Amino acid sequence: MSPPDLGVILFTAAFGLAGIGILGIVISAHLVRIVLSIVLLETGANLLLMLSGFRFDAVAPVIVDGVVPASMVDPVPQALVLTAIVIGVAVQAFMMTLVLRLRRVYGTLDIRELRDLLERDLAREAGVGLPGSENAPVPATGSPAVARGEGSS
Amino acid sequence: MTHPVLLFALPLLAAFLLPVVWRASPAAGRLFGPLVLAVNVVIGLLAWDDVAGQALVIALGGFQPPFGIAFYIDRLALLFAVAVSLAILLLWPAGRDGDGAVREATLTLVLAAAGTGLAMSGDLFNIYVFYELTAVASYGLAAARGTGAGYAATMRFVVIGSFGAALMLIGVALVYQAAGTLNLAQLAQVAPGTLDGPLGLAAFVFMLFGAGVKAELFPVNTWVPEVYGAASKRVAGLLAGIISKLALLIILRLLVLVFQHAEAQQILLLLGVAGVITGELAAWRARDLTRMLAYSSIGQLGVMFIAFSIPGEAGVFAGLAVALHHMVVKPALFLLAGRWGGAVERLDGAAQASPLAAALFILLALSLIGIPPLPGFWAKFLVVSSALAQPGAAHAFAAAAILFAAVVEASYLFRVVARLYRRLPAARLPQAPGRRDLAVGSLLGAGLVAAVLWLAPVGDGLRGIAAEAADRDGYIRAVNPAVELLP
Repeated sequence: MSPPDLGVILFTAAFGLAGIGILGIVISAHLVRIVLSIVLLETGANLLLMLSGFRFDAVAPVIVDGVVPASMVDPVPQALVLTAIVIGVAVQAFMMTLVLRLRRVYGTLDIRELRDLLERDLAREAGVGLPGSENAPVPATGSPAVARGEGSS
Repeated sequence: MTHPVLLFALPLLAAFLLPVVWRASPAAGRLFGPLVLAVNVVIGLLAWDDVAGQALVIALGGFQPPFGIAFYIDRLALLFAVAVSLAILLLWPAGRDGDGAVREATLTLVLAAAGTGLAMSGDLFNIYVFYELTAVASYGLAAARGTGAGYAATMRFVVIGSFGAALMLIGVALVYQAAGTLNLAQLAQVAPGTLDGPLGLAAFVFMLFGAGVKAELFPVNTWVPEVYGAASKRVAGLLAGIISKLALLIILRLLVLVFQHAEAQQILLLLGVAGVITGELAAWRARDLTRMLAYSSIGQLGVMFIAFSIPGEAGVFAGLAVALHHMVVKPALFLLAGRWGGAVERLDGAAQASPLAAALFILLALSLIGIPPLPGFWAKFLVVSSALAQPGAAHAFAAAAILFAAVVEASYLFRVVARLYRRLPAARLPQAPGRRDLAVGSLLGAGLVAAVLWLAPVGDGLRGIAAEAADRDGYIRAVNPAVELLP
């Protein structure tokens, strides 16, 4: 049995990282885990971008002593991936700031609790009652929010 | 003298100069942002004649396409660039004090720069970068109110946004892998041979979901009601009215230039119909005005997706008509919701407090539903009639969904109107919308009425713009005049 091709391994790794990231975003309940999953997904995407121009039989596109190499790696994706990494890091820093702020305001990072708290606050601001009843159709007459005593006004 | 590239460069430069100006003189700082945007609008209007006959291609840094990054400015791109500047000028954040005001103004200018850049860019990776820049600026603006709900809603926005951005990046990587270029004109040239297989379709779907986050596409739009509910209503108006249309413009360019697959159009049609039905039904069930408007914008964007899924010039024309109409109506509605934003029941008697605001709401609502002779009617009429002209049951079903959605829209918007005109004792009347909100809203409403009066020239102009945007060969030739196109 021959060892698998390096390209196959790397492409599998790229899609694998992206897959693990997507899975993590979907199933995690803790915000920091979700942020880490996004990091994984972005790493997978960046690796894929990197691979899209890579040639295993080539050298860096640098002309040394006037000698032009026979085959060179396409430098464009490498420039692109640098930009993508920088953007990714910036967004991750922003996410961590939000995580800190959320922790300070609500005291939890569990997304189910945060979702309920968000629903509560939005409903309170709008004056429409608690989350459980929030999606119920409005009766033709009367004011359910006030009737239930949940309105903030 | 003026150059269209300033449309992008000027707000970006101004954004980073703003904190310095503000420190020197807060009064000048307050005026600086709106002033720059006003100059931007003027530059855009002056450039109109330059692009009227032939699209303008700008090779940034002098590197000729396909090697350098190109800006492609046709009338559609310029229209969007001017609309972004004008809309951000009109919805400039309300005055606050302290550091918050500087940051908000800076982010707003970054948003303007990124938005105009996005509209004019002719390079796929450049589009990705501007898209991310737009995204980061809008994350900041969404969280700017500094409330817990704002942070939580923005967190969800960022998570879905980053997920979409990563998918878009994967799509870009797949395109580069298959076609070896990211210049849109060159991609349009080589796409028929390289991107018409399953790989191309996969790349399209990845990029559709990436851009779809901002365009409120059906499965990736769960952030919409929360962010619009928690952010200030001006930001909500900006995101719903303008930024979503920029993402839509990317999808349009991709569809027209690169991915002319029947499957790609079917996917878009399906997701559009799902968006129309889920958005309008959720809006019908919503009990506060802000979320009602948020869900309704999901439904309206669904109509645009349906329109763009119709191949050829007719679909582009219809989609642009709906998009421009929504661009005027939705920010105006969100401005009215600034003070009215709470539960619908709280709006009892609002017409007594401000008859003008109530009349404006009726005008906007009627146009949104599509009552003739308002522009909303003509936009929806174009979509429905060109959908019915297509063979096959899917488009007919989509047309039926749009008509059904109009009935639902009428039901929930009239419910609000009925509340507005209830009579209440003067002591219990709700607040009237703020004077500036009302002035800007009235201006947008006046624009709507003006479009009715000059319907024929507006329609003809838009048809011309759509024809130019739908012309793939024209795009390729504009960027690379030497190219020989296959018959």
